[in-house]
Amino acid sequence: MGLVFLKRLKGLVLPLVLLMVWEIASRQGRAYALTFIPIEKIGRSLIETILSGELLTNLLASLGTASTGLLIGGTVGLGLGSLMGLYPRVDKIIGPVFHSFRQVPLLGWIPLIGLWFGNGCLAKTLVVCLASFYPMVLNSYAGIRNVENNHLEVGRVLGASRWQTYRYILIPGALPFIFIGIYHALAFSWISTVGSELLFTAGPGLGGMMQTAQMAAKMDIVIICVASIGVVGLLMNVSLAKLSGHLLRWRSTR
Amino acid sequence: MNAISTAKKLPIPADALGLLAVPLAMLALWVLVTRAQWVPEQLLVSPTKVIEAVGELWEAGELQGHLQNSLRRLFLGFFSGAIFGLIFGVLMGLFKSMEDYCAPLFNAFRQIPSIAFIPMLILIFGIDETFKIIIVAKAAFFPVALGGYDSVRGIPKNYFEVAKVYQCPLWPLIKQVVIPATVPQILTGLRLSLSRSWMVLVAAELMAADSGIGQMMEWGRQMFRMDIVVVGVFITGLIGFALDYGFKWLESRMARWKMG
Repeated sequence: MGLVFLKRLKGLVLPLVLLMVWEIASRQGRAYALTFIPIEKIGRSLIETILSGELLTNLLASLGTASTGLLIGGTVGLGLGSLMGLYPRVDKIIGPVFHSFRQVPLLGWIPLIGLWFGNGCLAKTLVVCLASFYPMVLNSYAGIRNVENNHLEVGRVLGASRWQTYRYILIPGALPFIFIGIYHALAFSWISTVGSELLFTAGPGLGGMMQTAQMAAKMDIVIICVASIGVVGLLMNVSLAKLSGHLLRWRSTR
Repeated sequence: MNAISTAKKLPIPADALGLLAVPLAMLALWVLVTRAQWVPEQLLVSPTKVIEAVGELWEAGELQGHLQNSLRRLFLGFFSGAIFGLIFGVLMGLFKSMEDYCAPLFNAFRQIPSIAFIPMLILIFGIDETFKIIIVAKAAFFPVALGGYDSVRGIPKNYFEVAKVYQCPLWPLIKQVVIPATVPQILTGLRLSLSRSWMVLVAAELMAADSGIGQMMEWGRQMFRMDIVVVGVFITGLIGFALDYGFKWLESRMARWKMG
């Protein structure tokens, strides 16, 4: 008990030192105070943005983009990955194209998507779709390929139909991999939401709010946005880990 | 009989043809669609235009300049970030007290995507080279640090106990126990770092730069020069591919060296 407490205390030292350095830097004169905003002022801006609803509106807009993209991109990715895993012919035809498109860094598509679809909601959602599409394809493919052969043979012996094989053997067998895919897709969808909002500044969203604040040199708002992005990302990871632990509790590993 | 023998004689070309069929068909469709002008040129630029744009950019020396600037930023940022990350990760894995002090802050910062730091860094460092190299270094730091930390912690405890019994000093301990046991995972971390660095650099250049592949694409977008944007997409893809493949090749070489 005491040891855990001491460990926690040690973990707090570095953040506190950083905060102190920041605070000291903010008192070195007017030029410094513009970049290193006093902590007290960041706190006041935080309360202000929460009370005015600005933070919440933008946060909800970002979450909306991220979840729409995740849902569409993830579902299409799951479908394509399963098809590629099930039918070698599909894999042979689509695989090379898929892997060559995958080489372009995600945000490198942004100028092209911008030319085609403008810089509104549609363009942002498309980037997020793409971000969650890739990991879902890769992992559902790997999952289906990793289903144990004797499970499939048992199905064949018992005369399982194609749909039954898919529903009762392939999907449960691939589920651990699919969860890894969802895990990656969730992380990438959040990153790409922020990235696309920063690059397509139109419309609400945490990234847009941050970009506007940067143009106006409002460091306090920028810091609040960065912190909110981190907290939301953390909450997403933790809740998905809980959910997958619950859904995969039938697995007898460890 | 005849068909079988030819198929046996030419297994590789037939396979390669199969692999190339879809990309070639897509290219043919691209040529056809733009030739027949089924879609306006503002929406889909023709392949010949793209090739012309490459030639034009190359002759003007612009392409080389952008490439050189982007790659310089990438390598400066990647190497500084990766080296610091490696040292930090290994130290944190080796020393319990360092872990106690640093791990919470490290894990908190790890949650925030690198891209989200771009506006903050612009405000602190301005839009010059410094900010781009720092953001690339930040992106490279975390995967390598995490790989180093995890792999050092994964070394079985009794290795260290044996080293303690023999009173092995720190440097030989690192060189003969820690490095061989951790190289594979660290290499994976480095490869991840490299591809993340590249993506973050392109994003940073799209947002604020006077040169670089990302800036070239952003300029193309603003001027509605789709040919230049497409050239940029191709080049970022090629570089991403080359970096990833080069690193995988290096990994396999290292694995072979370890075996031998």
